Amino acid sequence: MSGQLIIFWIVTLVTVLSAATVVFSKNLIYSAVALLFTLLGVAGLYVFLWADFIAVTQILIYVGGILVLIIFGIMLTHRITSVRLSHSSMQRGIGGAIVLMIFVGLTSMIFRAPWYRVAAVEPQETVRQIGRLLMVDYLLPFEVASVLLLAALMGAALLSRKVN
Amino acid sequence: MGNIQSISYFLPELMVIATVVVALIADLVYSDRNSYKVGYLVIAGLVVASFTLWLSLPEETTPIFLNTIVVDPFSRIFKFVFLLATFIVVLMSMNSDELKGVRTGEYYTLMAAMVLGMSLMASSVDLIMVYLSIEIVSIISFILAGYLRAQVRSNEAALKYVIYGAFSSGLMLYGLSLLYGLTGTTKLFQLSGSISSLGPGSNLTLTVSTILMLAGFGYKVAIVPFHFWTPDVYEGAPTPVTAYLSVAPKAAGFALLIRFFNTLFGTGQPLNSPVWQAMEGVPWQDILMVLAAVTMTVGNLVAIQQKNIKRLLAYSSIAHAGYILMGVPVLSQEGVYAIVFYIIVYLFMQLGAFSLAIVVSNRYGTEIIEEYSGIGWKSPYLGFFMAVFMFSLTGIPPTAGFIGKMYLFAALINGGSQFYWLAIIGVLNSVISLYYYMRVVKVMYFQGGREKDLYVPGGMSAAIVLAMAIPSIYFGVRWSFLADWVNSSLKFFIAGF
Repeated sequence: MSGQLIIFWIVTLVTVLSAATVVFSKNLIYSAVALLFTLLGVAGLYVFLWADFIAVTQILIYVGGILVLIIFGIMLTHRITSVRLSHSSMQRGIGGAIVLMIFVGLTSMIFRAPWYRVAAVEPQETVRQIGRLLMVDYLLPFEVASVLLLAALMGAALLSRKVN
Repeated sequence: MGNIQSISYFLPELMVIATVVVALIADLVYSDRNSYKVGYLVIAGLVVASFTLWLSLPEETTPIFLNTIVVDPFSRIFKFVFLLATFIVVLMSMNSDELKGVRTGEYYTLMAAMVLGMSLMASSVDLIMVYLSIEIVSIISFILAGYLRAQVRSNEAALKYVIYGAFSSGLMLYGLSLLYGLTGTTKLFQLSGSISSLGPGSNLTLTVSTILMLAGFGYKVAIVPFHFWTPDVYEGAPTPVTAYLSVAPKAAGFALLIRFFNTLFGTGQPLNSPVWQAMEGVPWQDILMVLAAVTMTVGNLVAIQQKNIKRLLAYSSIAHAGYILMGVPVLSQEGVYAIVFYIIVYLFMQLGAFSLAIVVSNRYGTEIIEEYSGIGWKSPYLGFFMAVFMFSLTGIPPTAGFIGKMYLFAALINGGSQFYWLAIIGVLNSVISLYYYMRVVKVMYFQGGREKDLYVPGGMSAAIVLAMAIPSIYFGVRWSFLADWVNSSLKFFIAGF
């Protein structure tokens, strides 16, 4: 087993196990901290896909920004750490069976699908290509995203304003 | 077409964006008390955008912005629907007591921004653009649904909407990523070419992808397994917003659904030839047929038990989504034509019913159907027009709803014998819907006292109701004007009745 493969499996294990902790932990703080490792693991997977720019963005925005916000949100909310999160779900048996069926179905689909393959080329830095794509091929989505963000900003301002 | 040359084809949307920006700045200038004036600015902007749209006459499907979106007759007519619906709803909002006393500057600005999102939904031919346009419409819908922050049920509506929205977006993205994984492109036209050369090995993946994408599109048009958010959101949101959500984003969702699936899984020039075929192997037509049947049946059966007029209209809008969905798997211009005709007619009758519900709630302070008792005698104006809208929604001649349904059923019958069962279920559902629509009329006329205070709603509200009622009747008697306009706008050549 090559060194690369060993690192890949470590990254994958960290991602999946910490994601499971996020879901199953009864304590919100534990969940938030476990999310840190999930996001870092996903960034690692991006590195394996030669998506260096997205990997760095993932760490900067999700780990550096959003996760810190989440933790702030938890800590500033009154007594939220002592709230017992109930995970009791009804119909565990049937639910589990359906989830298992979906898992098996999707997995077999993934193995059977004739995926599009590109010939292996020497990976290059992606920043230049992304910039070009955003400014030429995907100019309209790039500009329209600003309208989306504007609307979201207005919504956030609206929700946080005092009710009169 | 390159980015610079595309701008001249994008003028109507640019006008909408300019409206958003101007409205946003004007909202800063006006004080809280005068924030409703932003509404007038938005109306002016919508009129300008409609005018520029009127001047653009695309002859055929022209891809612009390097194959990101297209301008074509199909998207043009849907853009008119969005502009008209937004125009009416802005007027309705100005005359709603629910929105008095809250700052409404952002409200109108967001509605203008939503027009942009819906226009892009109707014209997207790129997976990224499809996702982005759906998100614009969704996020603005969340904000509008929760606009009345002092009301618990409005907050609840927004929260439920966000959770369902995020979940269905996730499913849709997974479906889109499967498409990308099979073909390595995000452009719809290239996708359809690559898919047809993939061979039968890809059918399973394509079917899974279709179901996942339907979760996203179906959530926007509220078809049945993805409809659970509808009644709660429609009940909790401010009534003008409910009216808006039940018409405009639904129309946008159908525009996207029709274009996306027909281009992706159709062979033989979809939308541009009289009839086209479905690609072998992916049973998307069957999926849509079953969903249409289930959607209208569930919508109608659950509507029977509703006590709140907004919930009743919510379930009725689910049923109508089912009727409209019947036209999608027919794969003929006649089917698309029937859908567009029905959506225009549906716009008038649905917005009319909601504008009446707003007038009743302003005057009598109730949304409960049982408390509508005697309104038919107290205010013949409201009673008569409510009856008109209810008849039209049921599809009883001589109302526009009847003509719309007739076109849909005719398209199904002409489509071939595999659609007969769907047409029969559609007719049976119309009969079921008669019961609950007529119950509203019955309560208004045959229950409660008959005191006459002869209430006539004030200027603007009365005008909106009248402006919605006239087309609902007129297009039931003489619909050739509308039929010709739809026909020539779509550049289809369909023999009329």
